[in-house]
Amino acid sequence: MNQTRSSRRAGPLLAAVALLAVLAAGCGIPRDPESTLDRVRGGTLRAGITASEPWTTLEGGRPGGVEVELVERFATELGARVEWVDGSEADLMAALEVRELDLVVGGLTADTPWQAKAAITRSYATTRVVVAVPSSQPAPDDIAGLRVAVEAGTDAAGILEDKTDAIPVRVADVTQVRGSAVAVEEWLLADLDLRDTGVHLSRSKHVMATPMGENAFLVRLERFLIANQGEVPALLDKAEAGR
Amino acid sequence: MAEHHEMPPDKHQKLVKAVRLEWISILYLLSAIVLLYFTLGSSQAMKAAWVEDILGLTPPIAFLVASRVRNRKPNDRFPYGYHRATAIAYLCAAVALLALGAFILYDSVSKLLKFEHAPIDLVKPFGDRPIWLGWLMLAALAYSAVPQVVLGRLKQPLARELNDKVLYADSEMNRADWMTAGAAMLGVVGIGFGLWWADSVAASVISVDIVRDGWKNLRVAVDDLMDKEPTVIDDARADPLPLWVKNELMLLDWVKDAEVRLREGGHVFLGEAFVVPVDNEDLVGRIDRANQHLLDLDWRLHELVITPVPEIQRPEPAGEGG
Repeated sequence: MNQTRSSRRAGPLLAAVALLAVLAAGCGIPRDPESTLDRVRGGTLRAGITASEPWTTLEGGRPGGVEVELVERFATELGARVEWVDGSEADLMAALEVRELDLVVGGLTADTPWQAKAAITRSYATTRVVVAVPSSQPAPDDIAGLRVAVEAGTDAAGILEDKTDAIPVRVADVTQVRGSAVAVEEWLLADLDLRDTGVHLSRSKHVMATPMGENAFLVRLERFLIANQGEVPALLDKAEAGR
Repeated sequence: MAEHHEMPPDKHQKLVKAVRLEWISILYLLSAIVLLYFTLGSSQAMKAAWVEDILGLTPPIAFLVASRVRNRKPNDRFPYGYHRATAIAYLCAAVALLALGAFILYDSVSKLLKFEHAPIDLVKPFGDRPIWLGWLMLAALAYSAVPQVVLGRLKQPLARELNDKVLYADSEMNRADWMTAGAAMLGVVGIGFGLWWADSVAASVISVDIVRDGWKNLRVAVDDLMDKEPTVIDDARADPLPLWVKNELMLLDWVKDAEVRLREGGHVFLGEAFVVPVDNEDLVGRIDRANQHLLDLDWRLHELVITPVPEIQRPEPAGEGG
């Protein structure tokens, strides 16, 4: 191959691609391969939900929670009506993969293994589990040997043992504990009148899932989430108050 | 047998310039690799372009290492010198290209056959404004391509003057990088337009290019290690030097018949000349003077062992199997 000839074609080709890109800039890039956003606009948003308090709740079959609230607002922005479908994460992701659903919510976090099959959004909220003491007590310098109430059935006890020298005490509902150190979600500190000790056990970045490759829909949802992420603390408080 | 300097002074200047260009290439490639890494996303085409840039580090490194090593004079442990160092470095680079190219090709084609759609969403690289990752991908690809093409153009005339195949192959790969970047850009723009297959197709094209480069370089490296007859810098045809040396020998009045065989050792050629003298007068002196004369013909001729023989055995022409 005569390299000089093909190298001289480099200029024109790069220019052509640049032109294409500029055209694209004015043409609603990115687009959906299967027109999800166009279909949802003014139509129906099929959303899958699996319960994960306080992000999603299903009280008597009625969807509620922070993420449900956000999805309903998103749909209103698009002039769409939400059709909720409940099921297990596995079932919902399978449906999402074949585009039987447009969106799945359920307290998903950024490290979800489903990201191989679904396009997850940028995280719209980050929450932490922290060790806290009643605000009437001073924050201890060192929690070694401290008895800390943890919610049974979560990873808090394990992380507490791995990362610190505190002693976990498993309880059924950590929000009912009074007068003792607890490992609790950060947004509950004000409600429960607790003080942060500065020991953070874990961090979760919350996301939603969309069909893989439907980039216009994904980007539109992400723009909505970026614009509305300031609402999340208020929504969390509302969800907690409703319990 | 008098030993010439490996390189005349003006060539040495060019070598210094080439070494500097290769250092610049390495530093620039490293920056492009970092930039591409941060804009990879889940795009297969970006991954292929990134891998190709990583592999693009091997020829400059091979060149720089070889430049150091082969300048060492032959000693009693390595009486033939260190010329082969280049060929070995070159072989390793070619194998790496071939293997990784084949792997990325397999990866890209299987993604295409599984109908995998590529998600490209928003990022917030500078403060608060969200931007579609695809735009950043295009910018990173442009950064990785344009300087490479320029560097390739600067290296190629040096490679010709230095008779350096590693440098030449490197410059060819650099100059062809516009194809890789162009394909990846088309892949990203295609995804932007909703053509889900654009990404894997672009990645497959890029990986075929890597495999082709690897195969071409592998053939040249193997030929070199097998002491194939010298070829011109772009491997298009045989080098005329062996024939020229033979003709010069035949012109000498004391030479009845002559045969020359040369092999490539990095920049330079080494070899043997078999002569049938008309008589045995002053054989040593005649051979010595002939040697001096022949080494002056071309700077690339580094060592020629002239041997008197009673009769010449000519090598057979290579058959179709070649």
